Amino acid sequence: MTTPSRTPVTILTGYLGAGKTTLLNHILTGQHGRKIAVIENEFGEIGIDHDLVVNADEEIFEMNNGCICCTVRGDLIRILGGLMKRRDKFDHVLIETTGLADPGPVVQTFFMDDDMKEQFFVNGVVTLVDAKHILQHIDDSSEAQEQIAFADVVLLNKADLVGPADLDALERRIRSTNALTKIHRTINAEVDLSLVLDIGGFNLDHAMELDPHFLDEEDDHHHEHHDHEHDSEITSVGIVVDGDCNGPKLNAWLSELVRVDGADIFRMKGVFAIVGNPDRVIFQGVHMLIDAANGGPWGARERQNRVVFIGRNLDREALNAGFRACLV
Amino acid sequence: MRLIAGPVFDVTEHVISARWLADGTSAVAVPSAGAPVVWNGSEVSRELPDHGLLGNGCLAVHPTMPMFATGGSDGKLRIYPTPDGAPIESKLGRSWIDRARWSPDGSRLAVGHGKDLLILDPAGEIVWQSPPHKSTVCDVTWNPTQPDELAVACDGGAYLWKIGGGEPFARFDWGGASLIITWSPDGRWVVTGDQTPSVHLYDVPRDFPLHIQGYESKVKALAFNSNARRLATGGSALITVWNCTGKTGPENSTPRQLEGHDDLCVALEFRPGSDLLVSGGADGRLLVFETEKSVRPQAAYLLDAAVSTVAWHPTELRILAGTASGKVQTFDISL
Repeated sequence: MTTPSRTPVTILTGYLGAGKTTLLNHILTGQHGRKIAVIENEFGEIGIDHDLVVNADEEIFEMNNGCICCTVRGDLIRILGGLMKRRDKFDHVLIETTGLADPGPVVQTFFMDDDMKEQFFVNGVVTLVDAKHILQHIDDSSEAQEQIAFADVVLLNKADLVGPADLDALERRIRSTNALTKIHRTINAEVDLSLVLDIGGFNLDHAMELDPHFLDEEDDHHHEHHDHEHDSEITSVGIVVDGDCNGPKLNAWLSELVRVDGADIFRMKGVFAIVGNPDRVIFQGVHMLIDAANGGPWGARERQNRVVFIGRNLDREALNAGFRACLV
Repeated sequence: MRLIAGPVFDVTEHVISARWLADGTSAVAVPSAGAPVVWNGSEVSRELPDHGLLGNGCLAVHPTMPMFATGGSDGKLRIYPTPDGAPIESKLGRSWIDRARWSPDGSRLAVGHGKDLLILDPAGEIVWQSPPHKSTVCDVTWNPTQPDELAVACDGGAYLWKIGGGEPFARFDWGGASLIITWSPDGRWVVTGDQTPSVHLYDVPRDFPLHIQGYESKVKALAFNSNARRLATGGSALITVWNCTGKTGPENSTPRQLEGHDDLCVALEFRPGSDLLVSGGADGRLLVFETEKSVRPQAAYLLDAAVSTVAWHPTELRILAGTASGKVQTFDISL
């Protein structure tokens, strides 16, 4: 999926005041040796005056009667299309979304638009979270929840303003929404930039790198959910099942799943064992867009299916039953 | 008919736009990055300041005087009253400027700037600003028959504005996304090329929309001939030419499809006052058609890279073509 000729794109999200601009400043001034173009959508806040930063108004292209899965960002298509005409290409593109932006159309732009797909790949979604204030609005803000749901990496920023126990609780809260994300605690958004720029979150080669313990964490969440510590409608459902799947059945089930529930499924990642196939099949998806590829031989690894769905109002039992029905 | 290759000049980067100035003695070429240049017919006579590290955005050539404007990622617009004069620079804000069009009489310059449509006078002063649109202004075009009217592509369709109006006097909303927009020379049709492989036409007097599908890709090139009877559209290797006459225009009509490109047609322009059409393709071919006579090109030339822009000389049988490799070349047509 990732070819060297394509330019990586990192999407930077986060609620208002979470520290996105601070992180951008670190990236623009850091000694990473890369030429990074930044597209900034953060109107209304203090922007960055820098030669490598361009401002754009968020522009939603609804391509199919408002279907959320067919929505892309026109501003990005125009600006990135212009940038990539030059011979001296940029090494990396960073897109800062507004604090209230839905990351979905940004990600989908690089899956749905032929020009963008040819020249770019999504390296990952980084979401900044204000550790001090996130709890005040996470339950009321679908934007804040969706930004966490999409994240490959969460930077739990302003960690110095919160005690260790509260940080631990906050991490559990974030993981209950997104079991796949990596969480780094930061102060003033200071972080090893490779953790932000070299994620590979949408690279199918990395999709198999699911944390083998993610189900443990998800079980923790399940427990907390019943303890009424919080009531998040965006959750992760993880499925780990030994055995082989029937390929056509699995394909049909996934296709129907995203056709019916795709609007509520933000991210999907998985590794499948398909009967008769000696190799792993790796899989990922965003809303209705799904992608699969050969992940190479299983080798000494156990043939075990692992998949995670992150979305709103997920039916855990139905997902489990649907997947198990695909087993031979 | 034959294309006779003339002088070449190099702007190093992908040519966004290359146009003759109104007097036909010189041309301006704007690359995606680096210095735009003025070419005097034999050599590059001037390098202009660029629009920042993230690149240039547009070129707007005045319709009657050798005057032009450039814009880009730095949010600046520079109006050059003469090819060798100092520019009038306006910093319009922080948004990228990639759309600017002079009005047909040359008295005003329309600029898409973020969600705003700005109207400037030749001195660079903003004389009118539309109320903000819901989304970015993707493209702008003037009504050739009404000097105060213009249309913008944005927010899932097209808004038609009269300068000074508090709200658009018409709106065509199809819930999709348009990339480019043009207004027919007779003022009847407003046409958009779309993000989806389609074209929308709006019959303004009838307030009637048409949707044409079946293209292979986004439609990035549209051109009317001077009498507004023909609309040429890109969107595939075939150039599709629609008949825009009669009560219903292209509706239920069969278009002519012009052959000769092996890859997408990306640039089109009819010669003023004639049915000669020049097209540029991603295959590097520059083709000239007599659109009423044949679906095959009457002349062709293969350039060293994808053609990115084409323009007719204002009076001569001469073409200017720019490429993705940064070359700009003139071609004379021998009949």
